[in-house]
Amino acid sequence: MKDQYLFIFAQAHDDFRVPELYSVAELYGFDLVIPEDFDVARPFAVLELEKEEHARLLARRCVLIRSVYEFYARGSNYEELHVGNRAARPKWEKYIPDTSFKFVVNGYNQSVPQHRQKQVIEHFSYMDFLGKIDMKTPEIILGCFEEYRDTTGSIRQKHDDDGNFREVFFGRLVEEGSARPLVGKFNVKKRAYFGNTSMEAEVSLLMANQTLAAPGKLIYDPFVGTGSMLYTAAHFGALVFGSDIDGRQMRGKESRPGIIRAAIQYGVQQRVLDLCTFDVTHNPLRCGGIFDAIVTDPPYGVRAGAKRLGRKKRRIGSRPDDQPYIPPTKPYELSALARDLVLLARYLLKPQGRLVFFLPTVTEEYQEIDIQMMLCDGMEVAANSLQDFGAWGRRLVTIRRTTTFNYSSPTFDADGGDLGVNGEEHAPAHRDFREKYFQGFKREL
Amino acid sequence: MVRLITHNLLACHAKGCTTNNFPLQIKDAQLALREAEFNPDFLRGFIPRIEWAALVSAARQLGDESLPNEVPEMIDDDFLRGLHHVLLEIHIDEGAMVCPNCGHVYPISSGIPNMLLAEHEIG
Ligand SMILES: C[S@@+](CC[C@H](N)C(=O)[O-])C[C@H]1O[C@@H](n2cnc3c(N)ncnc32)[C@H](O)[C@@H]1O
Ligand SMILES: [Zn+2]
Repeated sequence: MKDQYLFIFAQAHDDFRVPELYSVAELYGFDLVIPEDFDVARPFAVLELEKEEHARLLARRCVLIRSVYEFYARGSNYEELHVGNRAARPKWEKYIPDTSFKFVVNGYNQSVPQHRQKQVIEHFSYMDFLGKIDMKTPEIILGCFEEYRDTTGSIRQKHDDDGNFREVFFGRLVEEGSARPLVGKFNVKKRAYFGNTSMEAEVSLLMANQTLAAPGKLIYDPFVGTGSMLYTAAHFGALVFGSDIDGRQMRGKESRPGIIRAAIQYGVQQRVLDLCTFDVTHNPLRCGGIFDAIVTDPPYGVRAGAKRLGRKKRRIGSRPDDQPYIPPTKPYELSALARDLVLLARYLLKPQGRLVFFLPTVTEEYQEIDIQMMLCDGMEVAANSLQDFGAWGRRLVTIRRTTTFNYSSPTFDADGGDLGVNGEEHAPAHRDFREKYFQGFKREL
Repeated sequence: MVRLITHNLLACHAKGCTTNNFPLQIKDAQLALREAEFNPDFLRGFIPRIEWAALVSAARQLGDESLPNEVPEMIDDDFLRGLHHVLLEIHIDEGAMVCPNCGHVYPISSGIPNMLLAEHEIG
């Protein structure tokens, strides 16, 4: 038998919400039922879980959860809510005799005036709780939430619509979300080392959750840059490994590498297994099947160019990579890079391991087939979430290695063009992304 | 950093250098010992990936004689703790790794090895 829990979500990164919930449930190995009418535009949802402990695990790990309540009732008006709450009596009657408690009444999109908060609370008096009211350290907190429609833009007074809510929810607090404050902890601006390619904190955390980062796992970023995703994956306990074609991205200007300085700040330096300078298309890794996840923001040429070793040049002797010399490179087209990355991941990941990466795309041109055509045998899409910037956006794609067959290392010569599922040529929206970006996404005439 | 676990995963990848390109020889190493979190599950999972002889010789070259010549049949906590130390706590901060076959020198500076190849070395 499953129990119902009322979730309150942050209204951010809507498209990432469901994948994050499923990932964390998979990480801890429990079931989660998301109703069919789940609407990411709304902050409230009632989900089913087997145990209260599972609700707590979600609240501790999901960046997009504000809090979780044991669900008692909901209604489009208070009559409905109270009918439901009376029926839920078996869930709360154990608190009647002597549990100290506190009531909170909140509005979403509109606040509930003081005098009506009092009224709302009084209407629950049939619950007959005998314990004392304790505003500071109550044993339980009961929450009543009025969800108003978003009226931004319309002209009205503060409490004009008071009481005219879309739906009201009631339950008992199980746990406040404790992953959400990590967004502040990993704030890029407060980091000991960052650059103009650093990934924002919230997204780095969402990415780490898609990798199922946990103690005992090894996670790799092949385009590590300033290391943003290493810190969040390591925070969740994983060992992390990073590489970049440009050593200066990882080092910064001081003698101690920048990524190590930031890792020290976050207390995860022991978990940074190593950093290496190499071109991932000419990599020195001796074998595959070593990583539990690969997490990365590939270069797509806007700020950090995609490149690979190439151009003709005379021999350059061996030297450290902190010198202002970068070996000759040639451009690396994004759709070729994406297909190579999936092949590389199939080789380097363990079975069931995950590849989590961003793919920039042109919003109007994007089609689902764009993702399908990057796949190869034994690699399946587990999630695909859009971060929308208007004319363009980027998709966080999670691909799982489903095969146990050990494929060999890719050859990185995939410049044979993009083929659709039926073998026909199809240009995905992310092809030549850089050029499209600088043209302001105007189609060629 | 470079830890021996990483050294155990890196081979020379210069064009045509496909035999005797592993393990890379460690040169002029400046070592540091840094404590790491012990995770027996990680180690058990990683053992099948280790080139054992290469690990033992690298450790001995750096003055650590603790590892047995072969992976023991019975993997107990003592063994795992020893392995943990060798794989994860010995760091090469400066020095170089040299290919035993083609002689390519991969320099290590501030713990980061430069594994880049020059133009004529890529396939
Ligand atoms: C978008 S940035 C990644 C930024 C990173 N997530 C961060 O937090 O700073 C892409 C990185 O890929 C690197 N890069 C480009 N081509 C590469 C290649 N062929 N092999 C390895 N790294 C490459 C660039 O030097 C750049 O640091
Ligand atoms: Zn060689």
